[in-house]
Amino acid sequence: MFKKNLIVWFGIMALLLTGGGQALAGKKIVNGIDANFPPFAFIDQKGTPSGFDVEAMNWIAKEMGYEVEHKAYDWDGIITSLLTKKIDMVASGMSITPDRLEKVAFTSPYWKIKQVMVIKKDSALTLDDLLKGNKTVGVQQGTSEAKWLKEAAEKNGWNLQLRYYDSSPLAVEDILNGRIAAAAMDDAPAKDASDKKDVKILGTFGMASEDFGYAVRKEDAQLLKDMNEGLKRLMASDYWKELVKKYDLK
Amino acid sequence: MPEIIAIIKDALPYLLSGGLITAGIVTGAMALGLILGLSMAVGRVYGSTAVKRVIGIYVWFFQGVPILVLLFLFYFGVFNYMGLNLSAVSAVTVVLGMTTAAYQANIFRGAILSLPQGQFKAASTLGMSDIQTILAIILPQALRLSIPAWSNEFSIVLKDSALAFVLGAPEIMARAKFVASRTYQHLPIYIVAGLIYFILTWAGVRALARLEKTVRIPGYSNKGI
Repeated sequence: MFKKNLIVWFGIMALLLTGGGQALAGKKIVNGIDANFPPFAFIDQKGTPSGFDVEAMNWIAKEMGYEVEHKAYDWDGIITSLLTKKIDMVASGMSITPDRLEKVAFTSPYWKIKQVMVIKKDSALTLDDLLKGNKTVGVQQGTSEAKWLKEAAEKNGWNLQLRYYDSSPLAVEDILNGRIAAAAMDDAPAKDASDKKDVKILGTFGMASEDFGYAVRKEDAQLLKDMNEGLKRLMASDYWKELVKKYDLK
Repeated sequence: MPEIIAIIKDALPYLLSGGLITAGIVTGAMALGLILGLSMAVGRVYGSTAVKRVIGIYVWFFQGVPILVLLFLFYFGVFNYMGLNLSAVSAVTVVLGMTTAAYQANIFRGAILSLPQGQFKAASTLGMSDIQTILAIILPQALRLSIPAWSNEFSIVLKDSALAFVLGAPEIMARAKFVASRTYQHLPIYIVAGLIYFILTWAGVRALARLEKTVRIPGYSNKGI
């Protein structure tokens, strides 16, 4: 009996020690980004992470006394990476959804985003054609619009086919190749695509607008508090307006 | 067209340094595979039944499970439970190394078994111990014979390393994807990425072919002995 207690005791001690170590090391944080999500997060010409969220996060980190490092991860597994402590937060255009709130905590919203359909520039397709005309629509895997479209199609009896992509730029590529009729994505990346490629924004498709927030692990209450405070200060500053203008977000 | 060339020129240094990371991953994985694979091959040929069985299970597991699954399994699961906080690059190196070890074990085993069994007996009549025989007689021949198959394995591992991106390791493929997402020039960028892989493969295979020639023993081959 005594032996058994001893083992439990050592276990608890070990947990406390490692847990304590992490809490003390706390000031250096890793931000996981989807580097295929311009203009919020991407890799610039010099090969360093850049974008609206990256620059905003740099400002907040400086303001709140953190040292932040941005690391590019596959969007599909980014919540897993957060939960398994490969990264400490996700500031990379992540929509706050009920599903995600079950696993992680979000800061207060900092950006409102609409989901839109993107089609070929010379296409005459209407939204009705896309939803009910047996067309194929591309979406990025693991996104809220992918989930919404699948559920809405089942509920409303739409006969559109969904095709899943690793990133929305790849879906745009396939619109131009003629494999899919349209792609659903957030309005800011859609605008970025329409600036660079022969596609245009058809418009929204009935999905309610979403809020972007920074995601952190639920147990990191202090980090969440600091990020909320940092966001508040950033959004009240001139730098925020500068960033919005720089990335042409409005 | 000039626009595409400008983008490629811009992205090339970035993609090439991704090539260095790929080269690092592959070198590490092949080295780990060589050490593990060679020991397993010797164990599988000369070991006890229990040793043979354990190695058999290892080989069977790593040959049977897709690398993508192994990467997730080890990075998010096994390494985490062991308290190892490996970076993406080192995790990929270790997982690819353990996988190629299974294949390399078979390569070396085949080479060892292709040697005439009489050599072992002859060495023992000369008073050499089993370990001495393996180190001084069997392996020098088996390793030479393994080079062509090993060079095949090298090119396979090099291309498998493109999977590293799922863990966020910034190698060639991941970097190509980033640049393509920013510039919307998928095709030209992926062609450049493909060329970098091609050059790396070609250089490695050439170097191994040269090694094979250098270490060849004139007048000796195991054919027909």
